[in-house]
Amino acid sequence: MTSAPKPSIDILIRKLESIAPLSDEERRAIEGLPIMIRPLKPDQDIVRDQDRPSQCCLMLEGWACRYKLLSQGKRQIFSLHIPGDIPDLLSLHLEVMDHSFGTLTPATVAFIPHHSLHELTARFPRVAAAFWRNTLVDAAVFREWMIGMGRRDATQAIAHLFCELYLRLQAVGLAENHMYRLPVTQSDIADALGITNVHVNRVLKVLRAKGLITLVGGTLQINDWMELTKFSEFDPTYLHLKQQAG
Amino acid sequence: MSLHLQPVRVATGSDDTESQLVFSGGFLVAVLVRLSDDHGEDAGSWFLEAGFGRVNDLIQHTFLDLKEAQDWIECRLAGG
Repeated sequence: MTSAPKPSIDILIRKLESIAPLSDEERRAIEGLPIMIRPLKPDQDIVRDQDRPSQCCLMLEGWACRYKLLSQGKRQIFSLHIPGDIPDLLSLHLEVMDHSFGTLTPATVAFIPHHSLHELTARFPRVAAAFWRNTLVDAAVFREWMIGMGRRDATQAIAHLFCELYLRLQAVGLAENHMYRLPVTQSDIADALGITNVHVNRVLKVLRAKGLITLVGGTLQINDWMELTKFSEFDPTYLHLKQQAG
Repeated sequence: MSLHLQPVRVATGSDDTESQLVFSGGFLVAVLVRLSDDHGEDAGSWFLEAGFGRVNDLIQHTFLDLKEAQDWIECRLAGG
């Protein structure tokens, strides 16, 4: 697995280039963005529901999620985010947050002022298009999320999520050989898929028993990629990655 | 209305098989399953595998013992 280099905005370039081409000039413009790097603790909110942010948050290290809290302590996680993601990119054009976004693990993030992103996208329409494409891929991931919660059983839904996370992490150099760090808790997975910890625990046992995965010490090894994708009906088209592996 | 419990085994697809059907006034209102050792610190707790009508809850609670589970079910049936 690739060791993490010093956190920098390069991860954003890598992410964007996984879904859209960038020229040298566009890359340099992104590298020139003013950023403020901050270390964050686990379970720390970055942006809250109803906030009016004036900056976007780029994940450099660690995992985060977008979520909404409901009554009786219920939490729905909408999306899981990894380095290279800008989970609140939508705040560039939607003034008020309609959900919260926070860390799941220790994380390092870079805040980028909205006005700098507006200037960048005005000067470089292809970068604007790459950001747009990024949000469209987000929407595609949400569609798969809906299927996962509504029409896949818990075992398929978790298997599908494991496949998706592998390709997303691989695209930014954080996974290879069908193995990656999975630092989220069973409770996070349960809240992401609308199931219970009990079901997550049962499903992990089933997936292990089938020999499809090994999960030890927070590292997930997909032992049989083809079988896991077949079992979960995983079709990576919706990730729209330039180079898809398996 | 007091609850009536009937022990059964439920095929959950896991080692969680020891279960109780929970009846209220002759109606099945819930299925509780005792969590096996696979569940670490939750082992031995009772999981609301299924609830019907007012006992249906998307959270699917876990209870320390059958008394706690029954208290919660009675509360739900009473409209709480």
